[in-house]
Amino acid sequence: MSTGTGRLSVPALPERWRTLLLLLPVLLLDIGAFLVPMGYLLRLSVTARTSQGAFVEGSWSIDGYRYVASSDLVHQIFAFTVSFGVGVTLLAVAIGVVYAYAAWQAGRAGRIALLSVAVLSLFTTLVIKLFAVVLVFAPQGVLNDLLTGVGLLSEPVLLVDNLVGAVLGQLYIVTPYAILAVYAVLSTLDRHQVEAARDLGAGRWDAFREVILPHIRPGIAVATVVSFTWSIGAYAAPLLLGSGSEQTTGILISELLLTQFDWPAAAALAVITVTLVFSILMVILWRFDESGGILNA
Amino acid sequence: MLEVEGVTTRYGELTAVDDVSLTVADGELFCLLGPSGCGKSTVLRTIAGFEEPASGDISIRGTDITGRPPHQRDCSIVFQDWALFPHKTALENVAFGLKMQGVDAAERRERAQEALDLVEVGSQAEAAPDELSGGQRQRVALARSLTVDPDLLLLDEPLSNLDRRLRESMQIELKDIQRRLETTMVYVTHDQNEAFTLADRLGVMNDGELVQVGDPGTVYDDPKSRFVEAFLGSTNFVPCRVVAVEEQPILAAPFGVRFQAPIDAGSLAQDDTIVVSLRPERLDLNPAAEVAARAVEDGGVATDEVSVPCAVVETIRRGSSVRIRLSAEETDLFVEVPVEEGIDMTAGDTVALQWATDDAVYFAETGERCR
Repeated sequence: MSTGTGRLSVPALPERWRTLLLLLPVLLLDIGAFLVPMGYLLRLSVTARTSQGAFVEGSWSIDGYRYVASSDLVHQIFAFTVSFGVGVTLLAVAIGVVYAYAAWQAGRAGRIALLSVAVLSLFTTLVIKLFAVVLVFAPQGVLNDLLTGVGLLSEPVLLVDNLVGAVLGQLYIVTPYAILAVYAVLSTLDRHQVEAARDLGAGRWDAFREVILPHIRPGIAVATVVSFTWSIGAYAAPLLLGSGSEQTTGILISELLLTQFDWPAAAALAVITVTLVFSILMVILWRFDESGGILNA
Repeated sequence: MLEVEGVTTRYGELTAVDDVSLTVADGELFCLLGPSGCGKSTVLRTIAGFEEPASGDISIRGTDITGRPPHQRDCSIVFQDWALFPHKTALENVAFGLKMQGVDAAERRERAQEALDLVEVGSQAEAAPDELSGGQRQRVALARSLTVDPDLLLLDEPLSNLDRRLRESMQIELKDIQRRLETTMVYVTHDQNEAFTLADRLGVMNDGELVQVGDPGTVYDDPKSRFVEAFLGSTNFVPCRVVAVEEQPILAAPFGVRFQAPIDAGSLAQDDTIVVSLRPERLDLNPAAEVAARAVEDGGVATDEVSVPCAVVETIRRGSSVRIRLSAEETDLFVEVPVEEGIDMTAGDTVALQWATDDAVYFAETGERCR
């Protein structure tokens, strides 16, 4: 062997192939984790239904889509799911912005306390999180006891087993992400900019609108995307904390799968939901990109 | 115009500004000069309302503004990093103050454009801050503060992020704008040359305290303390021993020379240390031979003029002047002479260093000036 370079010399690959080679692991992950299951779901949605089992293997039918298109119940549930997602997203982002701003304005100790509270709730699993909501908001829960105890309420208000409960539960799941997404961007703001605005005659609200809000727009976009995708797929919170009439597509799909064994319809509903979420996200990202926002920030 | 009375500002335990009082007259450019961390920026931030003083009062035109929030003070600050709003164009940045005052859109565009023209970046009105050069950003920041027509303009080292040549031309321009608009300015800097170029009056700060205030010439020639003397320019500090206390003390320099110092012996005792400051531009160099003869005449104690034989260690050409490093026995000294005088000297030459005892400045060991 020659005593030249110690390294094995790899035959030079053309630039394009090298890029592809480096991307390969990511591509494989993408294909394995997203494209194959999605393709399977898509295929499933156009199979025929059977009373013998879940679906007829190898068959072709658009009955699943027909069911989704014709059922009034599905329409109602779909409409509820979208408005539930939008409502929770608006609330979560609003709370996220206010909370992150408070943490940013607070002193060192206050900031650490506020942020650790937000992070801490991420440590618990979904079910524990939702039972915590029950403990706090139930008629005999902490909040009602407190309010009736100090005499603000004469009798407990019903905050769980209804729409309020479903929304509170879902907020409890997504708000920490909204807070952290906004705070991450806000923490990069040069405080001198706020001071400069105040110095030039801006009150606190003016400074917030003119300086802070434009700065945290990418954070708001991320918070919106996370909250919305998560809330439109809401399942556990409306199921455990709703009254039963807060049905989301998630709950409906599981019902179709598990109790009615109508897999093609479940798959069709899933495909439609995913398509809708995906297109809304594309619009949001595209809008923010156009105004010099999230993608090139 | 601006009156700051006994202001103390603390950050938690740390006293950043300690009992500072100063007044600035209408139309004056007042420089606050001091090393970094001396509290000069905190004074400015306290005047602007970003820091709340623990004690003391601040008033502008006789109105006490101590408790007012920043946006209700008739002053405007230009930050060291300029703090332009990155999401707004240069014009929108400059128009911001007017927008906050509720001026309508057309008028504020017009006035902002005027301000940009004044600082000669009118053609960059639609550019975003990150498309501008450092000098242009600095100008936009200045225009932004000027459009609100403040009674008092506060500048926090606004030129320190610029390279030297640009900084020097901006100093001249700033001074020119200040004269034309007759704006009262408080200008914070750590650069004594900048302070001397700009200031009508200056205040030297150290460790949170305002050490000395006066016009630049007076402060330079007549420093109150060793700190001021050291901070305003390079100098030779020579520790000398008091060998005799008469009406005026006799000092012994470490290089074997004794001389009578023109200061009040007052509280001095034998063996006290007096630090003598010899500014390089106040020292003369002469051929050694002439001086030896004179020293003999003086009989050992010099009265008006002191001569020291020195060896040249090194000559350093610094543009239009030459810095000559000397060694007198064990003591290192330096002088600065014009190029034509210093050009012939080389390391190893023996020369006589001379100064008038009146031109030296004397400090007690505590750093206080002896007069």
